[in-house]
Amino acid sequence: MEPIVIAKNLTKSFTKGLRALDNVSLTVNQGKVLVVMGPSGSGKSTLIRTFNGLETFDKGELNVLGIKVDSTHDERKIQKIRRRVGMVFQQFNLFPHLSILENITLAPVQVQKRRQIEAEEYGMYLLSQMGVDSHAKKYPSQLSGGEQQRVAIARALALKPELLLFDEPTSALDPERIKEVLDAMRRLAEQGMTMIVVTHEIGFAKDVSDQVLFMDSGKVIETSPPNIFFSNAKNERSRKFLNQLDNHYSES
Amino acid sequence: MKINQKIFLQFGICVIFFGLIGILINNLTINLTRTGLGFNFSWLFKPASFALAEHPLPYTSSDSYAWALFIGWLNSLKVIASSLILATFLGTLIGFTRAGKNSLLGLISAGYITIIRQTPLLLQLMFWYFVGFLGLKDNIFNISNQGIEFSGLIFSSEFLALLLGLSIFTSAYIAEVIRGGILSVPRGQWEAFRSLGLSERKGLISIILPQALPAIIPGLTSQYLNLAKNSTLAIAVGYSDIYAINDTIINQTGRAIECFIILLVSFLLLNLLITNTMEFINRLILKSRKYS
Amino acid sequence: MFKININSIIFIFKNLKKTFFSNLFNTIITLLIILFISAACFNTFAWLMFKANWKVVLSNLPLYAFGSFPPNEQWRPATWIITLLILSIFTLCGPEWKWLRKNLLKAWVGTIPLGIYLLYGGFGLSPIMSRHWGGLTLTILLTVCSSLLSLPFGILLALCRQSSLPLIQKLSSIYIDVMRAIPLIAVLFFGQLLIPLFLPLGIEIDRVWRAVFAFTLFVSAYIAEDIRGGLQSIPNTQVEAANSLGLNQYQVIQFILIPQALRIALPALTNQSIGLFQNTSLMAILGLVELLGVGRSILANPEFIGQYIEVYVWLACVYWIVCTIMAVLARHLEQRMTINKANF
Repeated sequence: MEPIVIAKNLTKSFTKGLRALDNVSLTVNQGKVLVVMGPSGSGKSTLIRTFNGLETFDKGELNVLGIKVDSTHDERKIQKIRRRVGMVFQQFNLFPHLSILENITLAPVQVQKRRQIEAEEYGMYLLSQMGVDSHAKKYPSQLSGGEQQRVAIARALALKPELLLFDEPTSALDPERIKEVLDAMRRLAEQGMTMIVVTHEIGFAKDVSDQVLFMDSGKVIETSPPNIFFSNAKNERSRKFLNQLDNHYSES
Repeated sequence: MKINQKIFLQFGICVIFFGLIGILINNLTINLTRTGLGFNFSWLFKPASFALAEHPLPYTSSDSYAWALFIGWLNSLKVIASSLILATFLGTLIGFTRAGKNSLLGLISAGYITIIRQTPLLLQLMFWYFVGFLGLKDNIFNISNQGIEFSGLIFSSEFLALLLGLSIFTSAYIAEVIRGGILSVPRGQWEAFRSLGLSERKGLISIILPQALPAIIPGLTSQYLNLAKNSTLAIAVGYSDIYAINDTIINQTGRAIECFIILLVSFLLLNLLITNTMEFINRLILKSRKYS
Repeated sequence: MFKININSIIFIFKNLKKTFFSNLFNTIITLLIILFISAACFNTFAWLMFKANWKVVLSNLPLYAFGSFPPNEQWRPATWIITLLILSIFTLCGPEWKWLRKNLLKAWVGTIPLGIYLLYGGFGLSPIMSRHWGGLTLTILLTVCSSLLSLPFGILLALCRQSSLPLIQKLSSIYIDVMRAIPLIAVLFFGQLLIPLFLPLGIEIDRVWRAVFAFTLFVSAYIAEDIRGGLQSIPNTQVEAANSLGLNQYQVIQFILIPQALRIALPALTNQSIGLFQNTSLMAILGLVELLGVGRSILANPEFIGQYIEVYVWLACVYWIVCTIMAVLARHLEQRMTINKANF
């Protein structure tokens, strides 16, 4: 099995003393799904954002798809990585001035220099995969949150990425819209897409993930397969966190 | 590598920019030596030998150009300050009626604003001067050749036309600023003071306006700056402000470049004066809000 | 149907009563206002119909429209103005034909070379010097050329001011701030009298184009600030999203930042061009015979001396109408843009 992401001792400090990332090491192999969990401010978003160069780090080594990046943050290498890695954001971040289809074809046409027609065809295929092809001519503000997020996934897929990063993709959605996005992600996992997902959705983590990584104050506390993590977590802090999550969900 | 690239880019742009400026200045010196004028400011202290109809300080045509320019600056200041006060008063009044409940008054002020804002200021100034003050001179106001007398002070028709034109023009813009500010106060505040039994006018002045001020002050500042810049249209009605005097001097001496620089500096000074005063007022307001 | 109408009329009437005649004070004010309005209307009407002498306007219509353009060539500027009018109507009505709707922007841009060609002549038309250009034609030409030139220049300035390169950022900041501090007439003065001093011997730029250049220098500083406001209100997440799709810095500026900033700044930008249209009248002081300049030269004619009110009222009407057309077009454009409104 080929490793897609190898991180070694990644460290990043925001202000003095406060560490966003503290000696984080991990490996994600091809076709695997890694779920990253942790309380807010634990550095999980920062971690996932370093993988496509949206965040820099101070120490350590990162190898994404065979491209090595260090703390000097070489723009060209980052650019190479970004062309092969897709990202989905919490707030969707669709481009409001472009139609749904234009949102999807922008990068293939401008970055990969594909022909417009070809990109549109593939874009329509992706939209139908996500079940939002009827909205192709509309603008983002005319869509619901769940639809926007599925468009955002299609946009990330348009570059035919070898790795998909999800940064809390369902946190900004209404509860009844969460399922449609999770289902779309589930289908992607079944098709063998390598994914790193920051989420609080326990159900998704249990069913889909191969590994669960638990972070707190910038440190990796525990990495286990989901069946072990959710039934019998090794670490005290992970158990406490899971308890809180359980309480939260049983309340709501 | 990235940093090198940045420095290189900046360096390149600088070379092009300063190269261009160098060429232009070279052309300028060639042209100036050709006309035999050169570039200096020593002429400033020669007698101006033109008369000024309006001078707040004593001035005769044997005074220096520099003194004439200073008088011009004072004239500018005089008309700016007085139109500023009049325009603020008018604008506030119209802004209130526009935001107020009486839709008939609102309609009138909306009409006023559209007519004033959709026609050029220069046209309005000429209208006030030629129609309002020269045309009606003999039949309505009985204005003497000197102008209108107000409790011992004599105002020339040029000054009054400029004052009226600038104030009315600016008031239409100030009215919109005031209206925007009033509308920026949440609807609930109106309901709150009404439910407390305050009268409409009292509530507007004591509840709404203080909350609207932070939104109003920046807009007001930019309108005051516009007013100052627009006051240079004084030349169209023959009022001797700083621009008009510079223009006269250029016609007399041909010192276009020097006069342009003087004009630039005078306006930068005026701008500084207005922005600093407004900033001071803004700070006063913020302070009074903190302690209230 | 009929019943509903009566009900709504009663409702409106009651509302009117409530706002205007709720108490004695309000009633008096309302009556006074109505009196004032009717008096003003009556007087204006009486003056317009009986007192005013419209010969000064009617006998000089071609002069107002085209300046001293040779009479047998006046169809050229007339064609241009009519083209602009037709295009405005098309834009407002929203044409049915899809190809026209798509090419509307190109058509608008195309009117500029068309106008310049029709005015200058050449290629089959007899050439006409720019000193014969005048009236409304010249006013519109100045407005259209200057606003179109100052847009790209303004965008460039705004981007430079936002740039991370300190030197470029400083230079453009100084330019913008100084330009915004000085009065327009000084810049126009610079264009008319000082630009020739900066040019080498033998090279001369036409007066009209010097005016366009000066207007561009001035307006682009204001446009730059409007666009900068737009740029600043775009959330950084948009840039992040574009970056994570692999778009480079220039592509982000071209496809994400500028289109969004332009949309946000659109109302301010249209206000700038309406202001520019009014400000072209300043050229009347600096020796171009545009619309206001024509008015001044007509008033200097002994035949029409002293007829200030008629000329100024007429000019005010023309300016008002063109400004209103521009404002309506701008409103229309804004509404079409807000259909696909930003969802930040």
